[in-house]
Amino acid sequence: MIHLTNVSKTYSNGTTGLYPTSLYINKGEFVFITGSSGSGKSTLLKLILKEIEPNQGKIVINNREITKLRHNQLPYFRRDIGVVFQDFRLLPNKTVYENVSFAMQIVQANRRDIKNKVPVVLAQVGLAKKIRSYPNELSGGEQQRTAIARAIINNSPILVADEPTGNLDPNTAWEIMSLLQDINFKGVTVIVATHEREIVNALKKRVIDIKGGRIIKDNYDGRYSDEMAYY
Amino acid sequence: MKWHTINYLFGEGFKGFWRNRMMAVASIATIMLCLIILGISYSIVKNVEYIMVQIEQQMGITVYISDEYTPENIKQIYTQIQEIPNVIDVEYITPDDALRSFAGSDLALYDKFKNDNPLPASFEIEVNRIENQAQVVSVLKEVPGLEVRFLKSETETFFQLNQSIQIFSGVIIVALIGIALLLITNTIKLTVYVRKKEIGIMKYIGATDAFIRIPFLIEGLSIGILGGMIPIFVVYNLYACAEKMLTPNLSQIFSGIQLITSMSIITELIPLFMGIGVTISAVGSILAIHKYLKV
Repeated sequence: MIHLTNVSKTYSNGTTGLYPTSLYINKGEFVFITGSSGSGKSTLLKLILKEIEPNQGKIVINNREITKLRHNQLPYFRRDIGVVFQDFRLLPNKTVYENVSFAMQIVQANRRDIKNKVPVVLAQVGLAKKIRSYPNELSGGEQQRTAIARAIINNSPILVADEPTGNLDPNTAWEIMSLLQDINFKGVTVIVATHEREIVNALKKRVIDIKGGRIIKDNYDGRYSDEMAYY
Repeated sequence: MKWHTINYLFGEGFKGFWRNRMMAVASIATIMLCLIILGISYSIVKNVEYIMVQIEQQMGITVYISDEYTPENIKQIYTQIQEIPNVIDVEYITPDDALRSFAGSDLALYDKFKNDNPLPASFEIEVNRIENQAQVVSVLKEVPGLEVRFLKSETETFFQLNQSIQIFSGVIIVALIGIALLLITNTIKLTVYVRKKEIGIMKYIGATDAFIRIPFLIEGLSIGILGGMIPIFVVYNLYACAEKMLTPNLSQIFSGIQLITSMSIITELIPLFMGIGVTISAVGSILAIHKYLKV
């Protein structure tokens, strides 16, 4: 599903974000990417989202070599990946319904499908009553639920979440993680970058630890690296 | 692109305009102010030029005709003068007409000289451009029995003044158009800049460039159309008021001098205003978005 072969990234200021790295993530996996700030975790996610280009190596997602994608093919590639950010990134002037339906408008879904599907997905993430609210009228958890609804509305096979619980209180963080787990149960490949030790340890999923631009641990024991506890 | 998507994008453009109305009002106000200042300056400059042309036409050439000429000869010379290049009008003034004009309302003076009129017959010649007067005069001087009078030094001074005014007004109009373009482009850039985050989010979700551009274009066009239309009404009414106030005073000072009508001025300003407002808003928003689409 996601295959990185010998991928590295050095920024224009000379900082190495990622040393040559190879990685394979299977379809339907739930993967935590852990690491401190500046470890290379964000570089890895940015490479997967094709926000930045690698200096070398090959990235294949959904059988498409994304390093070879042209600018006009990029939107169609991104529709296959739902993205959730720490700062939610909702469109501030649109209601919850409009934010979620926007993703369907992009794929030119017809009006009836949008009308039928958006309330169902919003109910699924627990926002049935907030459909007409604007982002600034929502709590952090509700904003993140809206972002998740937007990320899954088009049935994207991959969901990438960058510190999705970073701005949330522990209870809400658990609710969001459980929502992500539900999504994963439905067959969506979920990649979560996080600092939350307790969550990582509790969910017992594959954990990829990154430090200094290198993968220092990649196993399925579901434990947050002890070394990471210092960050 | 499907019809319902185009419909949605147009709707989004109008919604965006309404939801960002404070920014839209600020942009429209900037465009309006620029265009009103441009319109007022344009009207002043164009009127100065128009008045100069009218004065120019009044500065004609007078040709006095020798008494020896018969009416037949005079008719012949009249035709000859009409055929000189750059002459736009020739008027024959009989000695009696000249005396009436000289005496004005003083009937006693007219009566005193009407049987022994010392004034000669003449032609009043109007030349299309003041700079062509000298050339017409040189042709006239070759006709025997004609005495040519024209205000040589005044004509030259006027010609130079007219040229300076035209250069000066051209520079002012071009500079004002330049400033308006700069201000409007910056305003549109600003409206897009404050929403660059929004554009980034749309890109992450998988929106194509066209999908992002169309609503911004509609929003920019709405701002441009309103920003261009309102000044048309403002300048038209301001000009009509000024025309009403100035025309009686002007005709008292210079006889026969008129201002350009408000309808003519506004007919010239509509394409200028709409061109600047709409084109710059549309092109400006597309260019401004382009920068943020490279995510």
